[in-house]
Amino acid sequence: MSDPMVRFENVTKSYGALTVLDQLNLDIERNEKVSIIGPSGSGKTTVLRMLMTLERINDGVIWVDGEPLTHMDRNGTMVKASERHLRRVRGKIGMVFQHFNLFPHMTALQNCIEAPVSVLGLSRAEAEARAAELLDMVGLGDKKGHFPIQMSGGQKQRVAIARALAMRPKVMLFDEVTSALDPELVGEVLNVIRQLGAEHDLTMLMVTHQMGFAKEFSDRVCFFYGGKIAEQGPPDKLFNDPDNDRTRQFLSAVLEAG
Amino acid sequence: MNEFALGFSVAALFKGVVVTLLVTTGASLVAVALGLAVGLVRVSTLAPLRWLAVAYIEFFRGTSMLVQLYWWFFVLPIFGLSLSPWTVAIVGVGMNVSGYGAELVRAAIQSVDRGQYEASTALNFPRLTMMRRIIVPQAIRGMLPPWGNLLIELLKGTSLIFFITITELTTASKLAADATGNYLLFFAIALFGYYVIARAMITPLVRWLERRFSRGFIREAVA
Ligand SMILES: Nc1ncnc2c1ncn2[C@@H]1O[C@H](COP(=O)(O)OP(=O)(O)OP(=O)(O)O)[C@@H](O)[C@H]1O
Ligand SMILES: [Mg+2]
Repeated sequence: MSDPMVRFENVTKSYGALTVLDQLNLDIERNEKVSIIGPSGSGKTTVLRMLMTLERINDGVIWVDGEPLTHMDRNGTMVKASERHLRRVRGKIGMVFQHFNLFPHMTALQNCIEAPVSVLGLSRAEAEARAAELLDMVGLGDKKGHFPIQMSGGQKQRVAIARALAMRPKVMLFDEVTSALDPELVGEVLNVIRQLGAEHDLTMLMVTHQMGFAKEFSDRVCFFYGGKIAEQGPPDKLFNDPDNDRTRQFLSAVLEAG
Repeated sequence: MNEFALGFSVAALFKGVVVTLLVTTGASLVAVALGLAVGLVRVSTLAPLRWLAVAYIEFFRGTSMLVQLYWWFFVLPIFGLSLSPWTVAIVGVGMNVSGYGAELVRAAIQSVDRGQYEASTALNFPRLTMMRRIIVPQAIRGMLPPWGNLLIELLKGTSLIFFITITELTTASKLAADATGNYLLFFAIALFGYYVIARAMITPLVRWLERRFSRGFIREAVA
């Protein structure tokens, strides 16, 4: 059996005295679509941020595509990853943020070209062709010359998705990517994610409050509670017949809120 | 009023204006170049480099500009390094102001939204490329108004180069006033002289740069 695409092995993360994630173990298979749900503060964002190397972990090892991300091998012992090692392994991961984080001083097209040119070393023409293709795919072929400030939230988030895809990641992370959007713009972003899942070989890990989407889209749903996975399983099981009381309480609270 | 004294004084005054303009321009270039460089080192990830930048800033910002000029001009020759008054004026004033400039460069860089750093990391930018392509272009916008203020301060501070033997605008005004006895006229000229230089040169330059660097930040500017 091949290695999982992502493996969290006994990963612990704390801020001072506060342990946010406690000995997390989680494997994500190649091309698997995994949704993370759970109450506020349960550590969902932290899981993605650790994988994106935006947070250091305190203990354990994160593996990506069969090799350690947070550590590296030096003469047979595992040591903390160097910046160089991080940069190599991190290249397999892309992330889309709740607040888009587009580069405001660049147009949609430039946003999607900058990293492929200056990080991957693509020629400008090559990067531009790929970026144009991706912007077409997310339905923004006519907005290439627009600055982020000239776009709606839904459009900005679709540019952010195209920008991440331009780096050809194997794993895509989505952290509540529709939470900052007006309700009528949520659908256009979810459609793009649906299309990605259907047409690309991508492992996807998403934190979401869109229970309907998580149910329809995911292969597996993980319910986080207090820095641990309280329950996980196929969406039908987890949403319709959860084993854990916490899951049941959380789902009924979320459903009540609408 | 003696006409000869007046004509002579006006000529000297004109020369003083030119000197002030040249020193202000030269020292501003030094201040901006060193301010940017030291400000960037100040936010480096390497602690020893940061300490060097802190020491630089503390020295140039924390001690008197006039005493610094005296050091370059009167003390360095004791150690065998003689600098011309012009070199001391341009480099000495520029370095002094760069200490303040480095701090405002640091503040502007640190005020760029965290999300921009995180997106850059997620896109795997090496740190220097991230600074050059993503962070600094956004920080420039925020640092332009304080740079404008600082360069106006610099302009006014150039009157101190009188003490290292250069006759600039203030000195020329004083000499003209002494020679003619017309203190009201010549100090009025000095007063307005600085104002006009600041208003006609520094402010428009900063405004123009602000417009250039606000692409993508103001709707009207990109429509
Ligand atoms: N930089 C930080 N310093 C201190 N505590 C932090 C920091 N970042 C997160 N935390 C804490 O870690 C815990 C988990 O945060 P996290 O953002 O992962 O939660 P979440 O499940 O994504 O919540 P939400 O649904 O509100 O986004 C919270 O208690 C939070 O207060
Ligand atoms: Mg969160």
